[in-house]
Amino acid sequence: MKRTLFNLFALLVVFSLALTACGGGAAPATEAPVVEAPAATDAPAAATEAPVAAPEEVTITVGFTASQTGAQEVSSKRQVNGFNLWMNQVNEAGGLTLSDGTVVKFAAQSYDDESTKERVQELYTRLITEDNADFLISPYSSGLTAAAAVIAEQNGKLMITTGAADDDTYKQGYTGVFQLYTPGSLYLTSTVDMLKTLDPAAKIAIVNESDKFSTAVVGGLKPYAEAAGFEIVLEEAYASDTADFGPIINKIVDSGATVVLGGGHYPDGSTFARQLYERKVGIQFIGILVAPPDSKFSELGDAALGVTGPSQWEGKATHTEEEANGLGIEWFGPSGEEFSAAFEAAYTDKPTYHAAGGYTAGLLLEKAIRDADSVDSEAVKAALDATNIFTFYGGIKFDTSAEAHGLQVGHSMVVIQWQKNEAGELVREVVWPADVATKAPIFPITAP
Amino acid sequence: MTNWQKHIGIIIPLLVIAGLMLYPTITGKAAARETAFTILKAIALASSLNILLGYTGYVSFGHIVFFGFGGYVGFYLLSSQGMSLWICILAGGVSSGVLAFLLGKAILRLRGAYFALATIGVNEAMRAFINNFDLFGGPTGITLNFKAYLAYGGAAKALEMAFYVVGGLAILAIILSYIIRTSKFGLGLLAIRENEDAAEVMGVFAPDAKTWAYVLSAIIPGMIGVLFFFKNGNVEPHDAFPLHASIELLVMVMLGGQGTVLGPILGAFAYQGMRGYLVTSDFFKDIQLSVSGALLLIIVLFIPAGAVGWLRQRFPILRRVLA
Repeated sequence: MKRTLFNLFALLVVFSLALTACGGGAAPATEAPVVEAPAATDAPAAATEAPVAAPEEVTITVGFTASQTGAQEVSSKRQVNGFNLWMNQVNEAGGLTLSDGTVVKFAAQSYDDESTKERVQELYTRLITEDNADFLISPYSSGLTAAAAVIAEQNGKLMITTGAADDDTYKQGYTGVFQLYTPGSLYLTSTVDMLKTLDPAAKIAIVNESDKFSTAVVGGLKPYAEAAGFEIVLEEAYASDTADFGPIINKIVDSGATVVLGGGHYPDGSTFARQLYERKVGIQFIGILVAPPDSKFSELGDAALGVTGPSQWEGKATHTEEEANGLGIEWFGPSGEEFSAAFEAAYTDKPTYHAAGGYTAGLLLEKAIRDADSVDSEAVKAALDATNIFTFYGGIKFDTSAEAHGLQVGHSMVVIQWQKNEAGELVREVVWPADVATKAPIFPITAP
Repeated sequence: MTNWQKHIGIIIPLLVIAGLMLYPTITGKAAARETAFTILKAIALASSLNILLGYTGYVSFGHIVFFGFGGYVGFYLLSSQGMSLWICILAGGVSSGVLAFLLGKAILRLRGAYFALATIGVNEAMRAFINNFDLFGGPTGITLNFKAYLAYGGAAKALEMAFYVVGGLAILAIILSYIIRTSKFGLGLLAIRENEDAAEVMGVFAPDAKTWAYVLSAIIPGMIGVLFFFKNGNVEPHDAFPLHASIELLVMVMLGGQGTVLGPILGAFAYQGMRGYLVTSDFFKDIQLSVSGALLLIIVLFIPAGAVGWLRQRFPILRRVLA
């Protein structure tokens, strides 16, 4: 028995020492770029008998960490699915062909970041130095992205961020970090625009989760609403694990608010909406972050009816080539219907905006490589700086000032609202902007 | 017995740290440096916790509060006040020490499970406080401008420098642990661990001894916090006070052998080395948490005294070598 124990312990120590020391060797390195040399020929190009040179093929490695475990798991996996769909489509179509005949294909390399910052920098360093990643995609969430951005910038690697809405990261002097999502500070501004057309005299209560993302959102919401002429009658933050909103709802009633804007993430947002409904406090309009765009929100039943939320992308109101032409902006990529159909075929699941973001991150990289006609980082960076396109996901354009380089300035969010269809079923309808709306908004949501 | 033989208990741990610090230089790999950083950070934190857990027997489920609080104080001074990293690291250590002193006076009168529960409460209370403390950015935390790294030769040099500093702090933690272990003060702590009432009868003033052990165990985590947030470039309340990190530290100390100088080093090395390998292994990366959990379960079941404790029991000759 003792010998067994000794062997067990010795095995563990040797295992740890050896594998840590040889970690580099054990890593699933993806050699990139892999260049297959063209067929050598001494014959002049113009010679009719010269053999046709095989196109040079380059495999570009795109590195990222994904949250396969932890709090960000669901959203992160959807994002990765979207990215992988794009990559598979490009590779199956034979890759991208540059003007010099080079064929560019893509390979992904990823590790589990466990939804924590503990190893994000270690893993991104590994992706860059061991796996030779040529380009990077961000982890899911602003906090993880902030840690990864330091490593990307330090190593001169371009990183397209998706699922990282917080504005702060793009105001730290980075030059190679490009944001795909609408910045957090603008999440609820579309809702305010809509509210202005519905009730310019509305009294707003801002009630939000006390975390980085939600606080950043209301940080942008408050001045925007005030500038639009709305009166903010209550500002209240609640802890992330709040389950009883009774005291907060009492404050909302006392404040005389007619509109509630805020929320945070799915658990608290859906609980807040349900308790607002149960208390029948006569709120005319509710706008909540993150929870309403999730299809699970309909499980609230009548409590979901009329609740609105901002969404980065919705299949029902996907952006179109006609819309791009009307704005005079270049269109790129598949239509929303094509993306949704391909995603459902690949994963038997309807795409959410997380998946659309992942797919569009790849699409953006593809567009930049095409525009640069090169896979060189500097050339691709210049192409990203100059990007001003429209895809099914919406507009994409970046701030190029030194103060906020890489901040997304071309994408706007849509507002969805839960309504009932003719069969009496709860469905998610796009209610803003008016030009892409599928239904008019229900207002007020409570019976007089 | 020659002088070096008398101090073999500290020489072996220092050689392990030196090996870890040289490893990235020898391999020339930045990824190796990052892996070694994670291990050295864990060694420093585990060795610090060992001063309380291993020597006095007080189980703290909230030791990470010192990492978060000290880190926050130092990182605020660094990013918002533009102070030098070195001053900020010292400030982080001092602030954590002061916090430990104040907390120690209050909660170290509790024993056993009551103390353990109180430490969880302290960690959660501190997270809630920081979440509502506007000076430290409240829930959005603090972000460091990328230009701040220029003062240290740019981000690449700054991150490399952070590696050697964490190595230095790990050495400091080990030397501190060794000095306490071999001092009269340390003997008093060990007496408290065995029987606190008996220790008091023998002349150990337990409240003071425990408080100072708590203070000494808090200083290095505060310094590490500043360095880690500096390297990450930002800090948020939920990153600074993760309860699971406290539990991981307990696992490392118990895995290696509590109450010994070498134990936490071996525990941290084995635990972080294993996690680091599994998370990047092609074969294990999708099931890495399950595998690491199963391995830890097996070890705790079969070697409850920890690696060093077991080796000392099994091979009496090693008792002089493995301090």
